[in-house]
Amino acid sequence: MRKILLAASTALLLCSASAEAQERKLVISVYGFAQDAFKTILYDPFEAKCGCKVVVETGNSVERLAKLEANKSAPVIDMAVVATPDALAASRANLIEPIDVSRLSNYDKLYDIAKDPIGGHLSVGYTFYATSIVYRSDKVTINSWNDLFSKELAGRVAFPNVTTNQGPPTLYMIGKAMGQNTPDLKAPIEKVAEHKDDFVTFYVRSSQLTQLMQQEEIWAAPIGRFAWEGFAKMNMPLKWATPKEGQTGGMNVMVLVKGAKNKDLAYQFMDFWLSTEIQTKLAERLIDSPANKEVKLDPKVAENLTYGEETAKSLDLQPADAILDNRESWISQWNAKVGQ
Amino acid sequence: MFQNRAESLALVLPATLFAAIIFIAPVLILLSEGIRPAGGWSLAPYVSFFTTPLNLTVFIRTLKLGVLVTVAAAIIGYAAALCIVNLSAKGRGRMIGLIVLPLMISPVARTYAWIVILGRTGIVNQALEALELTDGPLRILFSETAIFIGLLQLFLPLMIISLVSALENMPRDAIAAARVLGANWLQVFWKVILPLTKEGLVIGGTLVFTGSLTAYITPAILGGSKVLMLETLLYQRVTIANDFASASVIAMILIIMSFSANLLLKRLATARAKR
Repeated sequence: MRKILLAASTALLLCSASAEAQERKLVISVYGFAQDAFKTILYDPFEAKCGCKVVVETGNSVERLAKLEANKSAPVIDMAVVATPDALAASRANLIEPIDVSRLSNYDKLYDIAKDPIGGHLSVGYTFYATSIVYRSDKVTINSWNDLFSKELAGRVAFPNVTTNQGPPTLYMIGKAMGQNTPDLKAPIEKVAEHKDDFVTFYVRSSQLTQLMQQEEIWAAPIGRFAWEGFAKMNMPLKWATPKEGQTGGMNVMVLVKGAKNKDLAYQFMDFWLSTEIQTKLAERLIDSPANKEVKLDPKVAENLTYGEETAKSLDLQPADAILDNRESWISQWNAKVGQ
Repeated sequence: MFQNRAESLALVLPATLFAAIIFIAPVLILLSEGIRPAGGWSLAPYVSFFTTPLNLTVFIRTLKLGVLVTVAAAIIGYAAALCIVNLSAKGRGRMIGLIVLPLMISPVARTYAWIVILGRTGIVNQALEALELTDGPLRILFSETAIFIGLLQLFLPLMIISLVSALENMPRDAIAAARVLGANWLQVFWKVILPLTKEGLVIGGTLVFTGSLTAYITPAILGGSKVLMLETLLYQRVTIANDFASASVIAMILIIMSFSANLLLKRLATARAKR
């Protein structure tokens, strides 16, 4: 019996070893969310198409950037998706290289905002989202980012913590509304500090907000459009504000790791991800808003996403370098003034 | 039991090795981040931690809440434990079962329940308003009060169980004897019950205090980033700033606080016994 087992396992080992030698492998680094859907919509079809294997590494951007930095001399990862400031950080650390957009057949289909988000063709946007304020339309009206500080809303607002992705964009728009729009966000942080007791909490996870809204703990909160679906489903008079200063938001981009071993596969994969077909499928599952302008969506689906030429044009995004250069100082200012 | 010293040492060796590799070594590596931030020896992370006003606020808040929760748990715990030991064996079993029951429910679920209970439209505010004790709903959520309530509910069972077992070991007629000799209830508690059950109090107090210091979910959900505690600050430093040096400093502070609490409680217990 033991001999048979031994023979069988040896055979198995040999098979898998030779399979590995033939098989081409693409290693990607992505956010951990919705991986089941990404597998069926994106990874599996791509594997079938390229006859290669897609190895997925997930984690938050801090962890993933740290890993890229650690493996700088012998890169393991071929391509990664991160938020724009993280892409800029990676570029400054010399971890990524420019993308040859002529190798992406779907590049021209992208909205202008997604074509070269941090300059130098170091990244390509694959999804973006709007950030505005969700509010109880039966209790208040919101026409400006300044309305977050109104008397009617005192004690009824959950404000994004400066450490979240929604925190800095919200402060940025408040700065605009105040007419004091400096990259250090000094004026808006001071304003939040002045009113800090009027905020119910400085939230860290947007998933927490639906419960607070349900319990009437809050009447308004600045959120990313990707979180809107949870509110739209609630049986409550809730609206998405269109403040006169505009909406802001954020963008996630693809980057090519410097010295990547499988550049060809990485280009094919990026192009596949940006294709109208895949972008449509990801949008229909409400995973990522499309950056490809040829994607046509049912209005019901579009309602839950950041969609359309006009929306894309109207987004007032905080520049990536402003975020990267000031992030630490925002956190320390915030901790000193708001955090205690 | 073992005549041969070497033999007994050999028997302890596997467990010791296991603890050393799995527990002690990782802790030492983690703590070394705080004194070797960039490879060289330095106390800079400690200095910068204690010179940042926010960190001091968080440190004092954590200590304060830990002490308050432990004292409150001891007071409620003694009352509950005294009632329980006076029940019949059957009743005692049932009560202990009820007290242990919450320990079997995930702290996440228990803490989320508090969001509903303590909320603006929750049962606490409804009751306060019905009794006309407040004009409008109080904002309890995301405050130190909310964390206090959450932690107390989380760790009170540990105190009660420790005190029940201590009281069970107390001579049954000690209270009656003290009463016959003319002691009032306060004297009975202070001079008889407390000295005889101090070991239970030390164990319960250490468990509750250490638990309150190191709990993460409760302060994260009920306090949020507005009311940071050392644990939530530690998490923030690691996940947002990738700042392992500060995290290591906080871990060290938590370890020192836990050990000091245990030593202090033991000292108090022996000091009373000597008198």
